[in-house]
Amino acid sequence: MLSLCANASAPEEAATARALVASLGRPAPARTPFAEARFMKMLDQPLVVTGELAWLGGDRLERRVDHPNHEVSTIADGEVSQQREGREPRRFSLKRAPQLQILLDSFVAMLGGDATRLEQAFAIQYSGTDAKRWTLILTPRDPKLVRTVSRIEIEGAGNEPHCMRMQEADGDLAVDLLGDLAAKMPAAPTREALAVLCRGG
Amino acid sequence: MRLGGRWTLLVVWLVLLAGVGVFVVQHLRVSTDLRSFMPAPTTPDQRLLMEQVGEGPGSRLLLLAIAGKTDQQLAALSQQLTASLRKDERYSQVLNGSFDIASLDEALLPYRYLLSPTLDTHALDAPYLRDELEQRLEDLSSPAAGLLKGLLPRDPTLEVLKLAERWTPPKSPEVREGVWFSAQGEALLLVQTRAAGFDPDAQTLAIDGIRQAFDALPDHAGAKLIVSGPGYFSVVANAQTRGQAEWIGRVSTVGFILLLLLAYRSISSLLLSALPIASAALAGIAALVLLFPQVHGITLAFGFTLLGVAQEYPIRVLSHRRAGENALQSVRDLWPLLLIAIASACIAYLAFYASGVNGLKQLAVFTITGLLVAGFSTRYALPHLLPERVHDVAGMGWLVRARRWVDALPRPRWIPVLVAIATVLMLVFARGAFWQNDLAALTPLPRDLLQEDARLREALGAPDVRYLLVLEARDEQGVLALSERLEPAVQALLATHAVDAIELPSRYLPSETVQRARQQRLPDRPTLERALSDAQQGMPFQAGLFAPFVDDVQKARELPPLTEERFATSPLGQRIAAMLVSRGDHWVGLGTLSGVHDVAALQSLAQGSGGSVRLLDLKETAESMVVAYRTRILHALLAATLLLVVAITLALRSIRRAWHVLAPMTLATFLVLAVERVAGVEVSLFHLVALILAAGLGLHYALFFERDTGDAAEQRRTLHATLVCVLSALLVFGMLAWSSIPVLRAIGLTVSLGVAFHFCLSILMAPHARQD
Repeated sequence: MLSLCANASAPEEAATARALVASLGRPAPARTPFAEARFMKMLDQPLVVTGELAWLGGDRLERRVDHPNHEVSTIADGEVSQQREGREPRRFSLKRAPQLQILLDSFVAMLGGDATRLEQAFAIQYSGTDAKRWTLILTPRDPKLVRTVSRIEIEGAGNEPHCMRMQEADGDLAVDLLGDLAAKMPAAPTREALAVLCRGG
Repeated sequence: MRLGGRWTLLVVWLVLLAGVGVFVVQHLRVSTDLRSFMPAPTTPDQRLLMEQVGEGPGSRLLLLAIAGKTDQQLAALSQQLTASLRKDERYSQVLNGSFDIASLDEALLPYRYLLSPTLDTHALDAPYLRDELEQRLEDLSSPAAGLLKGLLPRDPTLEVLKLAERWTPPKSPEVREGVWFSAQGEALLLVQTRAAGFDPDAQTLAIDGIRQAFDALPDHAGAKLIVSGPGYFSVVANAQTRGQAEWIGRVSTVGFILLLLLAYRSISSLLLSALPIASAALAGIAALVLLFPQVHGITLAFGFTLLGVAQEYPIRVLSHRRAGENALQSVRDLWPLLLIAIASACIAYLAFYASGVNGLKQLAVFTITGLLVAGFSTRYALPHLLPERVHDVAGMGWLVRARRWVDALPRPRWIPVLVAIATVLMLVFARGAFWQNDLAALTPLPRDLLQEDARLREALGAPDVRYLLVLEARDEQGVLALSERLEPAVQALLATHAVDAIELPSRYLPSETVQRARQQRLPDRPTLERALSDAQQGMPFQAGLFAPFVDDVQKARELPPLTEERFATSPLGQRIAAMLVSRGDHWVGLGTLSGVHDVAALQSLAQGSGGSVRLLDLKETAESMVVAYRTRILHALLAATLLLVVAITLALRSIRRAWHVLAPMTLATFLVLAVERVAGVEVSLFHLVALILAAGLGLHYALFFERDTGDAAEQRRTLHATLVCVLSALLVFGMLAWSSIPVLRAIGLTVSLGVAFHFCLSILMAPHARQD
């Protein structure tokens, strides 16, 4: 299977990737439930949150967390504002949160069906296991970004992304289950269990 | 004098001039600090004002805006410029809105527990740490995770961020792409220079440094850098004044030379008559060099203008030469009158000396020395050099006709009465304020520059330049403690919107007492480790993750309290250094205010303090200085007038003759004042100075017209000399009246009007002409 995609000619692969990204596009505002597990070196167990991701059109993205705490983060005009129940909102520049910049670049390009934008921000590697299942591996082109986030893997089927894995340069990993798959997040996830979920879900 | 003797005298004179010239060049030190042209402060508030104007944090602040590219590119330029300027010695603080933890340097980082108010309300115990750690877990699963991940092991309570928040300017502009942006889409920066704001030379260097740094940025092409602020203004004002003075000086010199050539048709006379003036200028500068450590550039510029009066002395000599008569004889005839003229001009310039303003004192020394040297060299040296054979102006046809016309003018006695009545009426009915008290009105700055400054200041939330809270105590710690005691009252004022923001010194540096109290609340190592492990129960943090935090807290327990001196070594500490000033026997703390809405509320805050806190209104203080300064000048003028009346009466040995000289002069002076008032001019100090100068010139005209020689040819020569003098004065000062710089314009306009009025009135009121 792997050898098959490795043998695929580059232009053909790029064309398929473009067609795929174009097929992922949907009109704003587009919302999808998500469940995220973060594996971090400084923590013994992963952190799990669930909520909803929404593309509001343009470069505006909203990440709403419903569990375990309520929190809404919005990205707009290069600024992130973070609102948490009972606390002062926190605001900071997108510049200082490279992970968010990458999330924005990849998410907005995908939901906008904008292959050109995706190609501008990332080197894209496409592999399709069969007609329906696919994986996109995105490597940030910006040398500064790639120092914090080494790559993103998006797995999906048809025109639905299922899974987004953000591999950070320091070894930390964030896995987001999207759409219907979000409901299947285990209470105590492991990297392996999530990999299986993404592949088979 | 024989030809040989004449050459010897000329050579001796020139060598003498060259010698003085060399001395002057070697010793002259020109200063450009504009404050020497402001009145000397007398009250403590005024002294503080002068310091603030020149060296206070507000005056050393430059506001920068970068425009003309996309937000992203501008933000990058802003970051690069900031990085480059922070490395430069000339700037004590560079802010662009991005908080940089590095600005609190590594060695000072443990001080965060003594500087942040967290410990005043919480102890670093298990419940507090638990709450904080729970929040950190939320942070780690939020988009801010990447931001905080690095800080966490050392600073789990995020004390550094709390300090950053506390230290951001209270009314900061919108942050886009990580840096400040104005509503117009310019990236904004604040730069504090080490150089004083009103030292144009040092500010020029600082501003050039910024421009060079900007031009060295790789992607600066297409972007525009706008600079504003008091320092920039002093540079612009200085360059403008210098530029215009030079331009005007060149044009009037050429005009003057042409006028003299036309009047006397002799190049040698022209060159020789320049000698007394050159001697006057050099002697004036030499006197300044001997008496003052530094000579102000403006003194020199104005001084040369005022020396224009001295040009009258050789002109009188040249015009009064009779055919065949030797120059010495002509001078002897004129000398009594010239001496009165010189003495009265010196008396008038003494009023400058009494003004108490250093720059004007220098001006007085320069002009009085210059006038004396010009007068005496005209009397004792010049006549020996002038050519034997001259062209007698009395024979010129146009002059004969002009004198006849002037003599034929009707001189009804009611003319002075009418002019006097008109003057009084104009003075009474003129609208608007009589006196111009606002020092800023004399600032020669284009309106759009000032508007741009106001816009940037508003956008940056830069502190108000008008009001300051002044905190006084015996020492630095006393000021900080006072500032801490004031904080609750200040919070109340903010809550009632009396003012948008108040920055007190204790906001940046708590007093030692407070720092010690916080230090006492820091737990020792075993206690903190126990609390931490209790707090971490059931949390996923790895064991030993917070060891750097525990180490920092232990370091903070041992530190000596942070002082202003120690703090000032870090970039952030520069801010506090500017807010704490040692004034010899006591210390002064400065609280800056932004958006003052209720002055009365601020004043009552100050009144409740029993004198240790004051609200300093810089504008009002400046105006009080101007008023005090003007009162002094008016007194000096009154004294000078009395001296003048006595001197002239004694010199002419007749009250009636003195009256004929003084009446037209006085009337013309008030007429100038009245005309300017009707035209809507508010009278400033510089108008007063110019009125004195014009009166000095007018006195010459009146003196010479009053002189009854009974000789028609001599009367013609008097008219010739006076016409040359009037035209040359109109040429020089008329040029100044076109200047766009308010100070130069005030002087130019007033003297030109004065010369015209003095000339007309002294002709119309000349006594003997009427008797003809």
